[in-house]
Amino acid sequence: MRKPDSLSLLLFVRSWGIVILFALLWGAFSIWGFPIFGTFVNFSVILQGAAISTIFAAAIAMGVFSGVLDLSVPGTAALSSVLLAKCLLSGVPMWLSFVVAIAAAVVVGLFNSFFTLRGINPLAVTIGTLSITTGAAALITTGPPLYGFTPMDWLATNLYFGLPAMFYVALVIYIIGTVFLTQTRGGGRFMAAGGNAEALRRSGVNANLYKVLGFVLSAGLAGVAGIVTTAYTTQGNPAAATDSLFTGLTAVALSGISLAGGRGSLPKVMVGALVIAEITSILNIKNIQPFWGIVITGALLIGALYLEMTIQKQVSKRVVEAKNAERQASHLAETAAINIQKEAK
Amino acid sequence: MANTSEYALSLEGIDLYYGYVRALNNINLNVAPGECVALLGDNGAGKSTLLKVISGAHKPSHGTIKVHGKAVEFHNPKDSANAGIEMVYQDLALVDAQDTATNLLLGKEILRKGILGMLGFVDRKAMREEAKREVAQLGVKIDTLTRPVEMLSGGQRQGVALARSAVRVAKKAQGILLLDEPTAALGYEQKVMVEQMIKRMSANNIAVVLVTHDLPLAFSTADRMVVLNRSRKVADIATKDTTNDQIVGWITGARDSMENM
Repeated sequence: MRKPDSLSLLLFVRSWGIVILFALLWGAFSIWGFPIFGTFVNFSVILQGAAISTIFAAAIAMGVFSGVLDLSVPGTAALSSVLLAKCLLSGVPMWLSFVVAIAAAVVVGLFNSFFTLRGINPLAVTIGTLSITTGAAALITTGPPLYGFTPMDWLATNLYFGLPAMFYVALVIYIIGTVFLTQTRGGGRFMAAGGNAEALRRSGVNANLYKVLGFVLSAGLAGVAGIVTTAYTTQGNPAAATDSLFTGLTAVALSGISLAGGRGSLPKVMVGALVIAEITSILNIKNIQPFWGIVITGALLIGALYLEMTIQKQVSKRVVEAKNAERQASHLAETAAINIQKEAK
Repeated sequence: MANTSEYALSLEGIDLYYGYVRALNNINLNVAPGECVALLGDNGAGKSTLLKVISGAHKPSHGTIKVHGKAVEFHNPKDSANAGIEMVYQDLALVDAQDTATNLLLGKEILRKGILGMLGFVDRKAMREEAKREVAQLGVKIDTLTRPVEMLSGGQRQGVALARSAVRVAKKAQGILLLDEPTAALGYEQKVMVEQMIKRMSANNIAVVLVTHDLPLAFSTADRMVVLNRSRKVADIATKDTTNDQIVGWITGARDSMENM
């Protein structure tokens, strides 16, 4: 039998691999990109670049945790974005415009969950919704982006304590989300619904409610991403940012989970998103074509999932080995017990 | 014959048809509080089907189910759970990524006191302690309550699933526990653990219906043996009045059905 140490090493890599990767890249890029990369200003720039994809990653992550891959996220964000711009241009108060943008996203989430719970494949439903929302967004603007509304720099590029506002938005989402998932009853049941809805059902909990919550949280966060995008780009763009789907999904995969649902940690998803932003930053600094970033994101997605699968297989193998050893031992115990009984007679 | 209201569970003339197939043929079964009844039979004899009727997963075509003397009608497993019946399924339905305490207390999490509790914050420490207490009460050995259950051995997983139902049933006055092959795929030590758990449940006045292929387990835990053969009840006898050979005879059909059950 192999040393049990290798099992804990595998588990350690799965748990902390992304944090180690972030630190290693940071060290390496600081040397390679000296003297620009390692500065605080560049850190702030990285956070600004990462903010929107981080929020998108949270939207994707919430879907994945609850057991579905929500592909409609970019479309929902685009719809929220143009609705916000349209409202602001029509003179609707800013707070109400925000409410409209988020409410529309929540409706999209309810729509997704309605058809998924009736048994249609969620991938198909959310691709359909992606198409519907993107089309609806373009209908609202009649094609081109909407601009000319009051700038919202306070939500985007303004610096507070040296860090951009939009990063704080992401931070607040991740803190609230993490507290919800790890500290509350609803969060625990939410994860359980993603892991084994049947177990939840047999415990007398309405598991479908938490499935709906998964879609609504995913869509709601997509709405927030749409709002921040609108503030950052100062326009309501009906074109869905499908690359946000790729980076978001890659960040989730980098956090060390399979996409099967029921497990995962938001802080690690955030580190995953920051790893991608690090890479984008160094490509910028070294004047390398940004298209490499897209290639690398895809490679990271597949690589991370492959690594996770390999680790999972190894872990299962070890657990089965341990179980067999246990069964063998108890078979011996049984034989011994029977022999003792025979002798007693 | 005793008054039926003394029984925790009684089935009267249960028939179940699947299309033209008669899966259960006029089954009568009584289980008293604190009694453990082993439901035996070959594959396809109807024992799992009968268990599903009791747990509300199947609706019988004819016949009455009474819980503590009161006729009930189950439309789904939740109805039977509300009547105080808990079932441990062969597929354990555990949330793999979560720990023992969370799995045990799923659906009845302990909240913190005060404002945080109203916001739905759970008290992890209290949950761990509660789980520890419940697990200890049932005599289950689990190394650590904070490890995800996917990292536990088969026996320990079975222990967690059993404990979850057992705890729920113990909380209800005069509960009824249904066990479907609780020792399938278990090692010797784990089997002994399950055996002791069943005995403890009976001692706590819980009615237990045990479906199993494991005759030694049935002989060591059950007060009474009920044998089904081709959807009929062919034997219903106190454990002390029968032998292994007799039971095997009824299971295989080599022995004629008992009269006056």
